[in-house]
Amino acid sequence: MIAMKSINKGYMLGEERLPILKDISFSVDKGEYVAILGPSGSGKTTFMNIVGCMDVMDSGEYYLDGMAIHETREDDLTEVRNLKIGFIFQNYQLIPTYNVMQNIIMPLLMRGMKHEEAEKKCIDTIKLLGLEHRIRHKPGELSGGQKQRVSIARALVGNPAILLADEPTGALDQASGKDVLNLFRELNEMGNTIVMITHDLGVAQSAKRIVRIVDGVLVE
Amino acid sequence: MRISEIFRLVWLNRSQNKFKVILTSIGIVVGSATIMLVIAIGTGGKEEVAEQFKNLNAGAVDISYEGGNSGLGFSMGRSSFRGGRDFFAEITAANEEVVLSYEDAEDLMTFVTGISDVTISYSTTASVESGNLDAASYYTVAGVLDNYAAISNLEMAIGEFLTAENNENKEKYCILGSAAANAVFGNAYIAYDNILYIDDRAYVVAGVLAEMGSVASGISPDSAIFIPYETGIKYITGNSISPTVTVIADDVTSVDRVMADVESELRESYPNTVFTISDAGSKMDAASASNETLTLLLISMAAIVFIVGGIGIMNVLFVTVKERTNEIGILKAIGCSRKGILLEFLLEASCTSLVGGVIGILLALAVTPLVELFSVRVELSIQGAVLSLLFGVVTGSVFGFYPAYKASRLVPVAALNQE
Repeated sequence: MIAMKSINKGYMLGEERLPILKDISFSVDKGEYVAILGPSGSGKTTFMNIVGCMDVMDSGEYYLDGMAIHETREDDLTEVRNLKIGFIFQNYQLIPTYNVMQNIIMPLLMRGMKHEEAEKKCIDTIKLLGLEHRIRHKPGELSGGQKQRVSIARALVGNPAILLADEPTGALDQASGKDVLNLFRELNEMGNTIVMITHDLGVAQSAKRIVRIVDGVLVE
Repeated sequence: MRISEIFRLVWLNRSQNKFKVILTSIGIVVGSATIMLVIAIGTGGKEEVAEQFKNLNAGAVDISYEGGNSGLGFSMGRSSFRGGRDFFAEITAANEEVVLSYEDAEDLMTFVTGISDVTISYSTTASVESGNLDAASYYTVAGVLDNYAAISNLEMAIGEFLTAENNENKEKYCILGSAAANAVFGNAYIAYDNILYIDDRAYVVAGVLAEMGSVASGISPDSAIFIPYETGIKYITGNSISPTVTVIADDVTSVDRVMADVESELRESYPNTVFTISDAGSKMDAASASNETLTLLLISMAAIVFIVGGIGIMNVLFVTVKERTNEIGILKAIGCSRKGILLEFLLEASCTSLVGGVIGILLALAVTPLVELFSVRVELSIQGAVLSLLFGVVTGSVFGFYPAYKASRLVPVAALNQE
């Protein structure tokens, strides 16, 4: 599903290059549930951005679902994000002026799907996430746990190749966090591939496989 | 993304910020209203000029002497056309005091070829009393010959125009313009055959003109009173007149030659006198030209308003892009293309302008009666409305493009992390 070889990424600080990811090789098979564990500043968010095709690597090779991402143009990466990746963010990243349905339906509409058809498809996902009574509510009217469920529903609705979660329980209370992790486990059991990034060992332990990242280096 | 879905998003975003939409589009509102009114005033002006001159005989050439006494003659009406270039042929020579006469008119008829008719007239103002008037009012009184009505294409609503006998016998008959008849007597039928006092002398109303709405030989016939030429000299003006001789060229194409021949003929009789010789076509051209200049001026003003309005839209859109950077990041993260973002923001600008344009048109409709209060003729039209709407939308779209383009080029990660 994911195959990365010798990935390097750095940023220029004035004249000097600051390396963030150093020669990372990483792979995830279909149906895996992987946690990438690392402290703040270890490079895990940069790594996730590259895995999620939102940032480009300086060197290395990256294949996602058989597609050579390192050779893909920015415009095509947009399509890759839409078709193959479902993002779940720490702070949910929901559009505050849209209601639950409008937030969840967006990835399908971006594929050019008809509104009625997309809405029908959304309903199944909304039911799966237990949000059917909140369809017309806006994010401001939801609890943190419900917002994260909306975010998960949006990531799931397009049946992506992988679900990428960045600190998915970071903004939640303990009960809601546990609830989300249980949901991830269920989704994984349903066959979804999940890559989760966290700094919390307790959260990481809910995954089937843990990979550590320290100072830009990946350690299995 | 389907265009219908982009429109749905635009509607969603705009409908949640109605007040912002209205504030953003104020420049376009004013611009569209201005364009619509400019077109309406321009059209109104053109139609007014056309109406004013619809009864003007295209072959008419007016000859007057303006360097003499201060009589109010036809120079009153003509003064509104002065100032244009090449509209009047002027004979330059040293001035001498001259009063044009019947004999001059007859000489022109006799010695200048290609003239089908000639008349002489003058105008002054005189006090009028009668009928509905509580106190004396002042009206333009024109001393004319019996052929004046035919030369100026005047039509009678009731009665007959003045006759040659009226003039020869210096009879106190008068013809009222339609507006004058309405003002003095209430309507043409009451006015007809009634008595009108001009400078305290009783005149019989021999007829009332149909409503003309035009200017003939410098006089607005609707509000004027016509009396026999000689009667006026005897009872009102004395010899203090500044008459205008009007000759009618046989053929409209020979007006220039007739003007040149008239000039030569008059030079023989008055070698040291400056006459003003003007033709009807030149007057129409002058009036049209001044109307076009006004329209151009108003269009320039509207263009400036649009540019200011467009810059306003651009500023607000830049702020909007800044405010919604995180939203743009989310849309990009979940797969919205650059084209999709560009289209969404561009359509938001266009739709905001469209709303501004529609409000502008409504504003123009609301303002029109106020403009008309100042005696400005306004001719609203569908074409004007469509054009102003089009201008509004195009301006908003042009000025909205750059902010929309900037939004589409945002880097997803950076946009997503923007608070």
